[in-house]
Amino acid sequence: MIAMLLSSVVIILVSGTFLVQSQYYSSQSLHVGAHDNARVATERLASEIRSTMQDGFVVAGARTMTIRSPIVLGVVCDRAGNDVHVHIEGGVAGLDVDEVAGLGMRDSGTGAWQYRNTTWSLLNGGSVSSASVCAGNGADTMWAASEFRQLVEVNPLFGAVPNEGTILMLFRETTFKIQTSVLDTSTLGLFRQVYGESFVEFATGMDTTAQFQYRTGGSTYADTITGSNVGDIDAVRIVVDARLPARSGVQEDVTFGWSVNVAVRNFP
Amino acid sequence: MRHGRHAALRKEGGFVLALVVLMLFAISVAGAAGYLVVNTEFSMAKFSDQGAEAETVARAGLHRFVAEQLGVVGDSVGYAIGNGVALVTSRKIAELDSLNHVYYIRSEGTVIDVLAPGSPARRVVGAYAYHRKRPLKHLGAMVVAAEGGWSQGGSAEVDGRDHNSSSDCPGGGAPPIPGIIARVSAGSLSGGDLAGAPPGVTWSGGFSQIYDSVAVRWDILTDPNFPVDFDGVVPNYAGLPADSFPVVRVSGYFNPGSSWSGRGLLIVDGELDAASSFVWNGIVLAGAVDDIHEGHIRGMLVAGLDGPNPSSDVYWQGTLHYYSCYVYAANESLSYLELIENTEFEAF
Repeated sequence: MIAMLLSSVVIILVSGTFLVQSQYYSSQSLHVGAHDNARVATERLASEIRSTMQDGFVVAGARTMTIRSPIVLGVVCDRAGNDVHVHIEGGVAGLDVDEVAGLGMRDSGTGAWQYRNTTWSLLNGGSVSSASVCAGNGADTMWAASEFRQLVEVNPLFGAVPNEGTILMLFRETTFKIQTSVLDTSTLGLFRQVYGESFVEFATGMDTTAQFQYRTGGSTYADTITGSNVGDIDAVRIVVDARLPARSGVQEDVTFGWSVNVAVRNFP
Repeated sequence: MRHGRHAALRKEGGFVLALVVLMLFAISVAGAAGYLVVNTEFSMAKFSDQGAEAETVARAGLHRFVAEQLGVVGDSVGYAIGNGVALVTSRKIAELDSLNHVYYIRSEGTVIDVLAPGSPARRVVGAYAYHRKRPLKHLGAMVVAAEGGWSQGGSAEVDGRDHNSSSDCPGGGAPPIPGIIARVSAGSLSGGDLAGAPPGVTWSGGFSQIYDSVAVRWDILTDPNFPVDFDGVVPNYAGLPADSFPVVRVSGYFNPGSSWSGRGLLIVDGELDAASSFVWNGIVLAGAVDDIHEGHIRGMLVAGLDGPNPSSDVYWQGTLHYYSCYVYAANESLSYLELIENTEFEAF
């Protein structure tokens, strides 16, 4: 009898420990998942926002944000009719041509960017003779001949062919949207849409408080910026509070408050 | 008898021990899994931090490269910054004109995790920059932020006419420039020669006008941390190519004689008071200049960059002739990169 009693106590203690361990593991998994959701969402967003040039914001809403961020910049090293020869870092090999949403041109006087939507297939003029043409204008093409390309039909986009030395931008136009998750309908998800494509969910588990906020100088952030004020955005606050539903009745939903301020680097 | 009791004990105690061992094993597995999850989260957070740090290192390297650039643009350079390394490379993309070129500057920042040295965090940023090849304008043979600038004495000559011809260098035989530019009065005294177009000019804007017109980054050039070719030492010109016009910097009161004669860009972070044996081919930039000056300059002198000159009048008793070719050559030693706003981007 004594042996039975002692063994029962031992079994209860060990079982209790095991159950606590299991709950701890489950809880940690939820926390990690919540952290990962928040981190993935912010890092992907921040990397695109950070490089956005002035006037690169198209839509600045609490749950929807559309930005034009540079895929790569290039400098015009020669002009020919409606076309230009440019240097593009890394050449086409380093370019995700499917994401090209248009061409931007920097005003050398004001530093402002003009954006025009087009596609890579309409712009691509190949690389024939570009390196030698640019070398003739002083460019150093050594070991980088493939980085010199021809962009065609630039004149109709801007009304004039950019001068030598003008800086162009192949940009992507991306819309980020926080809406009900497809993967887990009890939470919100962060969706990304490349220009002309459909929305793709790349982070899930957002809480209902998740949103974007914008700063236009000063230190306060607003949920929505409209009209001409969109051009004044110099920082974005990404609020991606994460929530993962509990896996059992003894647990509560795991929430993780997370917000990051991303300064737009190129704002003068 | 003893044998029988042992057999009974084996029958009674065996299942508890086995169960406890099994449960302890299960607890260990759960604990290890929990630790693994937490550790993975920690590692991911660390890698995330290292990625952000690599980007910061890359940006810092890019800006440092641009800020420290003086003279010929370097091909590549590496900087140890914080816990990482920035490798910066440059490439000339276009020549807008003979004085302004466009460069692409690429900076790759890496932060190595000592536990995983084979896969460092890496970020690349790029930007474009103008290379201002000859930033100093040919304003006058002698530009001084003093009230009066004078060519004084029988052997004094201040001449803004170009003593080079087109056969000496491209751009040689330049149009004449003013001989002396000063704040209130400029002229000749006691038989001194003064020539130029016009010989003397006064700028009522004073020191500020002169400083702004010269457009030299004086505060940077005189910063002891800003690297120059020769800091406080005389170059061994015999060991330099004939077309090399180095940057030479000295600090404090400077009274050079023949031993300091040479060529290039001379930066005097203090007061210049040259002896008659001093001869310089190129550009002299001085924070201040003594009231009586006896040296000889073939090129240009800009003095009073520290503020209004301590001596209200400067009497030039040596020779100061405008040599455009020497000024061109020394000016290129002053060339610098200027980051083009709104062009910095992160290469993915």
